[in-house]
Amino acid sequence: MKNKINNVNLSKTKNVLTVDYKKDKIILWLFLSPAFIFILFANIYPICYTIFMSFFKYNKIIPGTVPVFIGISNYINIFKDVVIRESFLKTVYFVAATVIVEFIIGMLLALLITVNLKAMQYLRGFFLIPLMMTPVVAGTLWRTMFDPMSGPINYFIKLFGFQNIDFLGNASRALPSIMVVEIWQATPVVMFILAAGIQALPIDIYKAADVDGASKWQIFTKITLPLLKPVFFVALLLRIMDAFKVFDTIYTMTYGGPGRATELISMLIYKQGLKYFDIGKASTLSVMFLIIIFLISINFLRNIQKKEL
Amino acid sequence: MLNSDYAKIEDIMAKFKFRKVLGKVLLYILTIFIIIVIIFPFYWLVTTSIKYGIDISATPPIIFPNRFTLENYITVFNSHIGKYILNSFIVSISTTFLAVLFGSLASYSLSKTYIGSKIRNAFLIGVLIVRIFPPVVTTMPYYLIITKFGLYDTQVSMIITYVAYSIPFVMWLMLGFFQELPSEIDRAALVDGCNLWQRFTKITLPLALPGIAVTAIFAYIMAWNEFLYASVLTSQNAKTLPVLIASYISDQRIQFGPMTATGVLLVIPVLLFSILAQKYLVRGLTFGAVKG
Repeated sequence: MKNKINNVNLSKTKNVLTVDYKKDKIILWLFLSPAFIFILFANIYPICYTIFMSFFKYNKIIPGTVPVFIGISNYINIFKDVVIRESFLKTVYFVAATVIVEFIIGMLLALLITVNLKAMQYLRGFFLIPLMMTPVVAGTLWRTMFDPMSGPINYFIKLFGFQNIDFLGNASRALPSIMVVEIWQATPVVMFILAAGIQALPIDIYKAADVDGASKWQIFTKITLPLLKPVFFVALLLRIMDAFKVFDTIYTMTYGGPGRATELISMLIYKQGLKYFDIGKASTLSVMFLIIIFLISINFLRNIQKKEL
Repeated sequence: MLNSDYAKIEDIMAKFKFRKVLGKVLLYILTIFIIIVIIFPFYWLVTTSIKYGIDISATPPIIFPNRFTLENYITVFNSHIGKYILNSFIVSISTTFLAVLFGSLASYSLSKTYIGSKIRNAFLIGVLIVRIFPPVVTTMPYYLIITKFGLYDTQVSMIITYVAYSIPFVMWLMLGFFQELPSEIDRAALVDGCNLWQRFTKITLPLALPGIAVTAIFAYIMAWNEFLYASVLTSQNAKTLPVLIASYISDQRIQFGPMTATGVLLVIPVLLFSILAQKYLVRGLTFGAVKG
């Protein structure tokens, strides 16, 4: 006699229950489809469109123009363009500097949290404030605070006897000022991730090290850091990717200025595409940007894979 | 032991105690410093929004204002902010609902290993890619496509854009949550004869509810805070709050008063909610990074 409860059959030949997955697979594919359709049409298609347009010369600001196929001329022009090269350099500088500072401060804070758990429970809410604040609000807020005339930061600087500093109007100070805001907003994430990683470490090794008489510095460098590597690298990858995406704060604080001092790649793509409507150039820049980000993340993922083994 | 040994031990312990006290004092100073760095900007935001215009542009700046006004908020409310708040809200809620729905269903499928590993890996890599790339890259195609379809400046186009943007993130989070669920109960139900739909609705979903809550919170906050797509794809009708704030900055001057007032309105709900849902948020933030 065959017992059939839904997909579960009692096999006739062997005395085993087998499961028929066919109906399940249909439902699972149905589950996948809405997300799949969305990603296909609203993510993959625009990227393909961008890659496609990067081989054309198409400037929509002149009405009635038609895209003209020019092969890789766009790419060659980009390599020649000093402005674009400098923008790339500034972007890399921005990402590197913010990530390094965030991780140093984040690591210190993470250690503080894990050492002093109870006090930090209360502070946890505070640490979410910079993180959850809308980037546009953070940008405009810090712009208010950096103001040379009516901003509180200059007020405190003068209190200590120094001269007024024009943060956002000065070409060499504008980018570091934006970095400060980015660091202010992003360090809590790093702190939370590293703290969670530290708390997940096995406690036995620490006890053994204590018994063996290791100093705190030795414990940190030879036990905590190496064990934390996988978490560290994942956090690093996430933060680097997010640092490349920064746009809102730059837009509201300096709009790329003064001059081109804070014109990072994201700002450049925005201006080329949506201010000057040079679609060919903007697409090419986007493709280059994507390639760079892709290369960096693949490199990281390989590192993470290796570490996990 | 000799007396000299006792003396040495006491000496070491005294030094140790001093170090401990010094350590604790430093810790307190550091904590206070951190609190100032985090809280002061927020304090400045709120106080600026309730200062008189003259006080706002005062030199030197008034750190502790002694007179307050609601004139900035009145200005803001007089300029149709109700419509923009409604836009932000409708877009955020719809995005959250759709993104979490589609993303969770898709993640559930991906968490089941018998869907075929090649397809599964392709999907996972695709999700990773989309999560990594910067939104600037797709703003231009979106603008062109949406204007072609005549959907410029509509809530619908915003929702579609945001859902597409959020789905990879939702899938990333929910996949982790689904993988964390114990598979024994599921297997037991399978053997007992439950089909997939029953297992999903009666067993997996209730267990995954906290995960869904976290994901929904993040998706909502992301949609609420979003600026780039909103500024490019909307004009008058579908404008959201972040765009409104940026519009107070012009070449001539910055209207600090209304700007900070709008900022407060934008930020206060998110911050209040974050503080209430702390545990969930921190859990979600660290989820992708720490395994197990």
